[in-house]
Amino acid sequence: MNLIGLMPYLISGLGVGAVYALSGVGLVVLYRASGVLNFAFGALGALGAYVASSCLDAAYPAALAWTAALSVSTLTSLLYGLLLAPRLAHRDRVVRSVATLGFALILLGFCEWYWGDTPRRLVLPTDSEAFDFGSVRLTYTRIVGLSLALAMMASISLLLSKTRLGLQMRALSNNRDLSGLLGIRVLRVDAAAWLISGLFAGVTGLLLANLVRLQATVLTFLVIPAFAAAIVGQLVSLQITVAAGIVIGLIEALAITLPAVAAYRSATPFLLAIVAMLFIGRGSIRNATSES
Amino acid sequence: MKNFLLQFRSWLCCALLGAAGMLTHGTAFAQSCGLSNGHAATGTPLRIGAIVGKTGPDDFSSSIQAAAAYFKCVNANGGINGRPLEYLVEDDQWNPEVASQVASKLVRDQKVIALAGNASFVECGANAKLYEQENVMVIAGVGVPRDCYFAKNYVPLNMGPRLSMTEAALYAKQHYHAGKMVCIAPNIPSLGNWSCDGPVAWGKQNGVTVETIVMDPDSADPTSVVLQAASKKPQAILLGLPKGLMVPVLAAAEQQNLGKTIHFVSAASGYDLGVPKAIGPYWKDNFDVNLEFQPLDAATPDNRNWHAVMNRYGDAKNPRDTFSQAGYLAARLLTETLLKLPQGQLDRAHVSDALRQVKGFHSDILCGPFYVGPGDRHNANNAGRMAQSTGTGWQTEAACQAVDDPQLADIRALEQRLSLKP
Repeated sequence: MNLIGLMPYLISGLGVGAVYALSGVGLVVLYRASGVLNFAFGALGALGAYVASSCLDAAYPAALAWTAALSVSTLTSLLYGLLLAPRLAHRDRVVRSVATLGFALILLGFCEWYWGDTPRRLVLPTDSEAFDFGSVRLTYTRIVGLSLALAMMASISLLLSKTRLGLQMRALSNNRDLSGLLGIRVLRVDAAAWLISGLFAGVTGLLLANLVRLQATVLTFLVIPAFAAAIVGQLVSLQITVAAGIVIGLIEALAITLPAVAAYRSATPFLLAIVAMLFIGRGSIRNATSES
Repeated sequence: MKNFLLQFRSWLCCALLGAAGMLTHGTAFAQSCGLSNGHAATGTPLRIGAIVGKTGPDDFSSSIQAAAAYFKCVNANGGINGRPLEYLVEDDQWNPEVASQVASKLVRDQKVIALAGNASFVECGANAKLYEQENVMVIAGVGVPRDCYFAKNYVPLNMGPRLSMTEAALYAKQHYHAGKMVCIAPNIPSLGNWSCDGPVAWGKQNGVTVETIVMDPDSADPTSVVLQAASKKPQAILLGLPKGLMVPVLAAAEQQNLGKTIHFVSAASGYDLGVPKAIGPYWKDNFDVNLEFQPLDAATPDNRNWHAVMNRYGDAKNPRDTFSQAGYLAARLLTETLLKLPQGQLDRAHVSDALRQVKGFHSDILCGPFYVGPGDRHNANNAGRMAQSTGTGWQTEAACQAVDDPQLADIRALEQRLSLKP
């Protein structure tokens, strides 16, 4: 199959990959500030997406639905950061990360209990407009996803390198205890990271509910490709995380053209993460994960 | 004031008459089960079992909920000639090992005389041998994987995904003159390829090319699947996917505007009253689905009776879906068979024999008379209808039509040999 034949899958993979990238950035921001791998990232997004869907079903204006979705994801994440995360602040990184897995399962259970398994769909206004490339359409939603991934990567890079909050986040990332002794308000910086991560979760939840499907279990566990992207970026580099997210999306989409592996293409993120852990910056990841 | 009192009195009369009418109406339908004599059964209970996939990837409980409601109705109306039915339900947790354990518990320990209303993804493969060895019949509500249709003692009331897909293919040929189709099913053993093999085999005999795509149900990228299907330039795409997967596939097809050039037709797994609204106005008059049973909202006598039984003896939260219809039918078939047996023959051996003799079970929920018969496998529900999305609901488009799957050759031969169907 030539490049023109692959074009539809490249365009399809680009959209999903961009959202993986966006999720990866949201994970890395929180990890760099608080050392927590947020397993609840996908569930927070799912919660927001369901809220948006309910608002639209109740015929509320679309703008209100999107705002409600982002607010719910952001506030739920912030509440965790303010109420539960501080109680675990002195525990090991692994414990703090696994706690978010429990939080994810609670959110997942709530979504399934409250919204049930009635098939739902989240339509975005950007779905109806598209660029036509012959046999494939590149919807504005995919362009929005890609633009947001790049814009968020740039803004978070600026936040980390140019602002006081970013400096404090980086200091926490290096040594939390020492940062505390130096007068940095650790919990406040943590809360800011939870807030930013929650906002990212809300945005990616809306996009993934549209591009993938509005189903709590699926959205909750779509955090895995984002983790894979973040691991390739060694949980530090936003640029590599974004690139890895897009590459995962592209490989997953292109795998459908290979009949032998097409039916198993959801394994792409795991394979990429394993390769990354085996061959890329083993020292850095080990150092990053062993700090507590 | 006098006018007001007169008006109030006439309003009160109307309201009371209306309420009495509604009560009579509801009661009349709810009592249409078993002996329908209004006397509670008080004799020694007869044990009926059921296995359902409740906790796991999906909850199939609505089948046993409907069967339980029907049995409650039977018990409140004379039972089986005075003996109530004790309905023992076990959850297989979508785990074949658990399915075997609970089957053994029901069949060997509890000594149920039959099972009814089963709806499970794993138990057919796990328990078919046990049921045959123990000579116990299962009048299942719903069968999904292949194993459910290739077992001597397992009798599903529904037609199953393979026949449903083949019926959808037949419809696409008749209504859209489709000569080339793509069949999309999930990559699940005993389901995906098997359900698409029906249209493929039918297509070979009818000059229609059908290609199969099995998709990874966990994949986050439905767009690539529809693009791959569209790249084969079909006139129709057949979907054999659960609702949760079908809706995003249709959404991806809409985003690629494929609905304007390709007809999308689904197996019965896509039938749900909430689907037309979920998929949206783009698919109005543009998406068809197969029905294994009467439409859920049809006002036919037995369909109304199913609703009435559920309303009176079921829980308001129990779904009124096709699984529920199937569970209701399974419970009715078993009850009617038991009522024909003398008191001294209400044991497993006689009940299994009597069930195998069932030849003319009628219900307007089905397309034709249902039978069990002596065959080594069972697929008596082999005709269905088609419905089209109206944007807010479903419009039945095609009357009952027999499925023409070459794999049904043995079933058709048996039907002819026993003069079961014309």
